[in-house]
Amino acid sequence: MSVSTKTINRTSSVNQFFRRFVKNNGAIVIFVIIFGFALLFVKNFASAQNMLIIIKQSAVPVIACIGMTMVLMTGGIDLSFGYNIGFTSIVAGLLIKTMGAPVWLGILAALTAGAAIGLGNGILVDKVNVPAFITTLGTGYIVLGAAQIVSKGNTINKLPKNFLAVGQTPVGVFNTTILIAIAVAVIFYIILQRSTYGRALSAFGYNKRASFVSGVATSKIHISVYVISGFMAAMTGILLTIRVNCAQPDLGGGDYTFQIITAAIIGGASLFGGKGTIVGSVFGVLIIKVIENCINLAGVQYFLFQAVLGIVILFAIVFESIKNKKL
Amino acid sequence: MEKEGQELNETILKMQGITKFIFDSEGIALKNTNVKILENINFDLRRGEVHVLVGENGAGKSTLMKILGGIIPPDEGEIIIDGAPAVFKSAKESKAAGIGFIHQELNLCQNIDIAHNMFLGNEIVKNGVLNMKEMYKRSRELLMSVGFDVNPKTIVRNLSTAQQQLIEIAKAISCNSSIFIMDEPTASLSQNEINILFKLIKEMKSKGISIIYISHRFEELLQIGDRITVLRDGKNSGNMNVSEFNYDELVNMMVGRTLGKMHVCTHVPQETEILRVENLKISKRTLPLSITVKKGEIVGLGGLVGSGRTELAQSIYGARQFPSGDIFYMGSKIRKPSPRSSVQKGIAYLSEDRKLDGLVMEMDICKNVTLTYLDRFFKKKIIFKSRETGIAQKQIDDLHIMCRSMYQLVNTLSGGNQQKVVLAKWISEMPVLLILDEPTRGIDINAKAEIYRLMDKLASQGVAILMISSEMPELIGMSDRIYVMCAGSISDEINKSEGFTQERILQGTLK
Repeated sequence: MSVSTKTINRTSSVNQFFRRFVKNNGAIVIFVIIFGFALLFVKNFASAQNMLIIIKQSAVPVIACIGMTMVLMTGGIDLSFGYNIGFTSIVAGLLIKTMGAPVWLGILAALTAGAAIGLGNGILVDKVNVPAFITTLGTGYIVLGAAQIVSKGNTINKLPKNFLAVGQTPVGVFNTTILIAIAVAVIFYIILQRSTYGRALSAFGYNKRASFVSGVATSKIHISVYVISGFMAAMTGILLTIRVNCAQPDLGGGDYTFQIITAAIIGGASLFGGKGTIVGSVFGVLIIKVIENCINLAGVQYFLFQAVLGIVILFAIVFESIKNKKL
Repeated sequence: MEKEGQELNETILKMQGITKFIFDSEGIALKNTNVKILENINFDLRRGEVHVLVGENGAGKSTLMKILGGIIPPDEGEIIIDGAPAVFKSAKESKAAGIGFIHQELNLCQNIDIAHNMFLGNEIVKNGVLNMKEMYKRSRELLMSVGFDVNPKTIVRNLSTAQQQLIEIAKAISCNSSIFIMDEPTASLSQNEINILFKLIKEMKSKGISIIYISHRFEELLQIGDRITVLRDGKNSGNMNVSEFNYDELVNMMVGRTLGKMHVCTHVPQETEILRVENLKISKRTLPLSITVKKGEIVGLGGLVGSGRTELAQSIYGARQFPSGDIFYMGSKIRKPSPRSSVQKGIAYLSEDRKLDGLVMEMDICKNVTLTYLDRFFKKKIIFKSRETGIAQKQIDDLHIMCRSMYQLVNTLSGGNQQKVVLAKWISEMPVLLILDEPTRGIDINAKAEIYRLMDKLASQGVAILMISSEMPELIGMSDRIYVMCAGSISDEINKSEGFTQERILQGTLK
């Protein structure tokens, strides 16, 4: 057996490598296709400046998408994500601008608030056994309401320079926001690929009962992903606030949540749990941002973006199912 | 009279030269290798006979039946039904050709009632709405025809496994199938339920229905089989009429050699007590029970399915709650048992259903093997690949797990190899107490013998083993002491010195 299999492996090793790559990195393949099309057909797309714009626009959603991917990997979903962004935006804005607290304190408070909301989600989902969809929808609305009440519906603009510097300090051609996004991606890549936590998380996502019986700390893992998601929502909230130089209760919102979920799904995460990678999430976001960029450049109606997004998500799902069958 | 006899011998199904190639991890058929899943298989079935298909796990029985059931296509070969060639593109087409497939795993919707299940996808409609009255009436008739007197409005969840199996059979009958494929139908049935099933099979036979019966249990094929076909490594390895049954010859056909002694016993139980359970009630209504397991001892736990054996095991392990009772492990009381704390203490629990809670089917062998003791293998929380592959490779070698590589997904392994992976994950670090729940369910004779040898080896290294088993030979052959359970409590305790007998164990199960 081994002899004959080996010959085959040698003759078609390039082919096999290609096939395996496509199978494990669907998002990269889709990205390359779309990017190629954009290069060929969209005017002004192929410039270094435009590439930089795409990267800048992708940085914050990458952070968000990684948080969402962690939740999706357990078979859950976090619909409060977008509302959490608005809430933490207001928390940071209020403390730093209105109350004049130090920047680090404002950021710390916002991150803590985001993580606390996540903790609430996690406890309800794991301990009380409320479906994630309902739980996070509920907490999402609560958080949205709270943000509106606390801010009295107002926005807080003209934020202090030293706060804006956290995300906007240039580093070469990049800025700190991009560096933070890269750091987050690298850290979570290592966590998912190399840590016992990441392994247990993946096992839990595929088979909760088997993981429990195998002695995996299932409750801890289950709750932790919501805390991570909340924390990432807060990071997203802070960085978005810095980008628009304005803390607002309706920053993010439901639409943002669904865009992030779309990116995660295009990146190969499954709503049924188990699957999901950081590389996938990053490219999922890049795909969406390239499409958005193309539509902006082409000067067509922005509303077309949403329709195209819908087509892309369906395409990604079909692609996923075809490659699982054929490859 | 003579004519009828001829009719009975008429061949109604023929499978000729069926070949299925192996495929690589990406699902591409590898046609130019010497290894095939099925190679030139011939199989025929006569009217009104029970044709038993035996062979080790991975011999190709299930694949052959999946081809007949239209679930997967053959790469070569043809199927002839009633003299005409048949090509099945889907399970539906096979069903329409009169082939009823009763899978090893049940395929019923647990949340709806019997009648809805029986007519699922095939509902009786009158004027555009469901004709429930007719459906209940027909269901009741079908149920009666399999000798099962139950209200068709019963929700399936409330039925026992055996009863659900009867529903599956009744459902297949309702499609007017003339050929039945039964894939290990008795795997989860009690003796009593098996008797009911066998009576039904005999009735079906007398009506001219032919049955292809897959089983690992020799006593069954003697009871109901007419002919035996043996597969080995994807090839025909012999036929036998049940009337000319010869045990050694059959085993020889299956494994290619005569087996040595199945049950080895070289271990000697020691005096140190590892586990003591005192007055534990597995549920509020059952009587309290007490058991002990000593170091290096294999304690058997016999009893019928549903007698509370699995519940007891899971209570000790911490995978379920129990109302009252104390568990002492190595002299100290376990306050709040949970799988996590049990794993840390050295208690291992191999569950009954490897697909449900034994393995993560979508992950590879390597990841499954190291999952249980991840924290112990990698104290700094970072997985070192070389260390991990080393651990997995050692288990693959030690337990002779047959696989392409350690990165093969476990859902593509045969049942016996899956079971070895479950064992591997529990013994990749030596446990102190090993609880085995049906350790050899649905696996072939060779793998069984290997698992028995391994259990003996573990016991001689001082591991205390508590083994739940429904198989008498296993219980009697492997145990140093046997507890018999009945209705949630211990009804008998037998020492090896008293001599284990099938009769005494059976008495205990029915007390």
